[in-house]
Amino acid sequence: MIEDTIYRTSSQYRVWSYTEESLQSLRASTNTIASDRVRVTLRRTRDAPQSATGTPQPGSDVDSKEEKPIDCLTPEEELVFVRYYCESLLELGDEYKPPLPTTLRATAIQYLRRFYLTNSPMTYHPKKIMACALFLATKTDNYYMSLQKFSEAIPGSPSAEEVIAPEFLLMQGLRFTFDIRHPFRGLEGGIMELSAIAEGQGQPTPILPHQTAQSLKQALLSIAPPPTPSSSITDRIGRAHNGTRELLKTAAQMTDAYFLYTPSQIWLSAFLLSDRPLCEFYLETKLGGPIIPSTNSDSDPSTPLDPLVELRTKLSKVLSDCSALLQGYTPLSSDPAQIKNLKRIAKKHYKCQNPEGLNMAQKRDSAQPPTSASATDSGPATSESETERLAKKRKLEEQKRGAQDLFGGELVPDRTKGQ
Amino acid sequence: MAASPFASRSPSITVASPNTAIRLKAAAAQSGSESTDVKTSSQSHGELTEQLNDSVAQNYERGKKLGEGTYAVVYQGHRRDTATTVAIKKIKVNADYKDGLAMDAIREVKYLQELSHPNVIALHDVFSKNENLHLVLEFLPGGDLEMLIRDQNVQYGAADIKAWMGMLARGVWFCHENFVLHRDIKPNNLLIAADGEVKLADFGLARSFADPYLNMTHQVITRWYRPPELLYGARQYSGAVDIWSMGMVFAELLLRVPFVAGNSDLDQIAKISEAFGTPNKDNWPGVEALPLYIETDKNSIIPTSGRDFFLRQFPTAGPVGADLLMSMCTLDPRKRITAVQTLRHDWWTIDPQPTKNADLPRKRKSAEKKMGEDLSRRGGEIGISDGPFKNAARQLDFGGK
Repeated sequence: MIEDTIYRTSSQYRVWSYTEESLQSLRASTNTIASDRVRVTLRRTRDAPQSATGTPQPGSDVDSKEEKPIDCLTPEEELVFVRYYCESLLELGDEYKPPLPTTLRATAIQYLRRFYLTNSPMTYHPKKIMACALFLATKTDNYYMSLQKFSEAIPGSPSAEEVIAPEFLLMQGLRFTFDIRHPFRGLEGGIMELSAIAEGQGQPTPILPHQTAQSLKQALLSIAPPPTPSSSITDRIGRAHNGTRELLKTAAQMTDAYFLYTPSQIWLSAFLLSDRPLCEFYLETKLGGPIIPSTNSDSDPSTPLDPLVELRTKLSKVLSDCSALLQGYTPLSSDPAQIKNLKRIAKKHYKCQNPEGLNMAQKRDSAQPPTSASATDSGPATSESETERLAKKRKLEEQKRGAQDLFGGELVPDRTKGQ
Repeated sequence: MAASPFASRSPSITVASPNTAIRLKAAAAQSGSESTDVKTSSQSHGELTEQLNDSVAQNYERGKKLGEGTYAVVYQGHRRDTATTVAIKKIKVNADYKDGLAMDAIREVKYLQELSHPNVIALHDVFSKNENLHLVLEFLPGGDLEMLIRDQNVQYGAADIKAWMGMLARGVWFCHENFVLHRDIKPNNLLIAADGEVKLADFGLARSFADPYLNMTHQVITRWYRPPELLYGARQYSGAVDIWSMGMVFAELLLRVPFVAGNSDLDQIAKISEAFGTPNKDNWPGVEALPLYIETDKNSIIPTSGRDFFLRQFPTAGPVGADLLMSMCTLDPRKRITAVQTLRHDWWTIDPQPTKNADLPRKRKSAEKKMGEDLSRRGGEIGISDGPFKNAARQLDFGGK
């Protein structure tokens, strides 16, 4: 049983791995479904006051031409919007004493990203989901604290009920898979191996029998210089370690890396960006190499390619793709153009939120707790008028709370909203 | 499976899972066509995520109730398309726990989603219905090992024990290979399939191995199966805790009564000392540093039990079997045999050969109800309101800092 076989049984591979095309089409479907629902719900809510009974005719309002079309977010806009909350989530972890562990924050960010693959931020505001994602991560990553204590640390002090309300919805969006395979552990292992080699304690790889601890150390000391000068090999490994870790904490979390690549591919790609010669050396200790375009195999196609060379070539392509993805990331907050774009999206989002979605997340508050497990399974359907009433109530509450909301209020000041 | 237990450390070069994508895509396409329908969009269950959930839920039909506990209700059910029988475990949400879904359920779902092995109960699907969590589990109508141990009408011998222990050892090995500690191995968590296969169940106390230096709770594993390091309050431990429990199950299979059955944690340590010798810094360097360790007076130290003791106490196992049991019951967890080493022990290959599943002793009457009881129970609980188990485990102490 090799590591790949184990990885293929993981939920991260089975449920949460995609090609770029499938990822894009999934997001497009989610967006289409949510947009249609938003349009219908918003029209109904808008028309509701005219209907005394509160039961508008379904379908009759769809064609009303006098209405301005409702401008929904595009899948790309949704992605930027969610990314802003993923970045906030990273900062939210600092509010705790001691600060929450990096892997726990990373788990919460991935929960949020997975959730929004099949849910739209127009239906469920990320602001309402993110705290719950972080709390769920404390539970699944064995870093337990009480909900009360957890909620108190959040700016704006939301109530415990507010934080936990969308938990079930979130778990459903996660398709009840909680295990996230992070690249951090692989990085630690690789750094330990390199440090051992630097100390002359390297373990030769079984498939490359010519290696010895001494030859490994010699090879390590003779690699090309690092991108920034370092005083010693230990110093160099340390810098590469930090640089890689930083990329894994940020770029790897905020891009689609987890959906497209395996944890080992991700950390090796980040490592490649931090110190290319060192990463190449590490790969050579495992797979031999470097890859030299062979002229012999061109002339004789019947010669089977060395499987290690083949593997290395394949890997090299994957790593360079993943590196490019990671390198393309800049934090929203550090880029004025992105901030401007984000503000535009936030403004647009305000006008195309689905009021029903947020009720759904709050259903737990108002719903009767199941009295006995044998209770009937036919849940009470919320009537449309009830939905509208809740939507209005929510809107009122939201206005009341204004800037005191979770995480320092809206991106767009209240005055400019809703016009 | 056990033939090549070592994972190679080469980087994976798998790219993505087209199958999943296609499945999700199909679901998306299906729902997309309906989404323009006003009726669909006015329902609160229209989001793609809910449609995916509903399509899973629709695959199963729920049948009669098999059991009910404080934590869950278990039903028999079947898949609509294949008519495969399954067990559906409906978790009671928020029974007495205010912080959302209880940790038992979180852990069980988290780990069973990742573990797929013939000797670990299979989790086929998870879905929600009216804000209730439903786990679709493998249907295991053969009862559990505890039932067979206790039933005086059931006769079994060394070959049967070898078969059962072999299946347990493979299940435990697989968990450890995937960096998961079970932390509640005991006879009534070892369920039996219709074909006689033993399956490790109840992952409500499971967790993944902690990173080095991070603490874990010592309040796990039902007392009679709890290793000395946990009784002494160790906060950093390994798969060795499960191996001890396995040893206790082995001994119980041989004796047909629990081997060291203390009526308090202190009494448990006393009984372990009586049986295997008093833990001290000679047979277990470092034990004196454990938080709850109490030094025994020099005159009352019981010497460590040797091979003779195990041979005398467990004649059924034979000398090689007794040797395996002794390695599982080593006081010092660092010297205790590991799961991989267990699988490589000579006992499996010498005579008698393990009984084939079809010939294993079993209850004549169907034991579906037993499955219902086992699955609806919280870990660390026992069916009868037995004193010794009351405070075991499940006390939420998560060993933060």
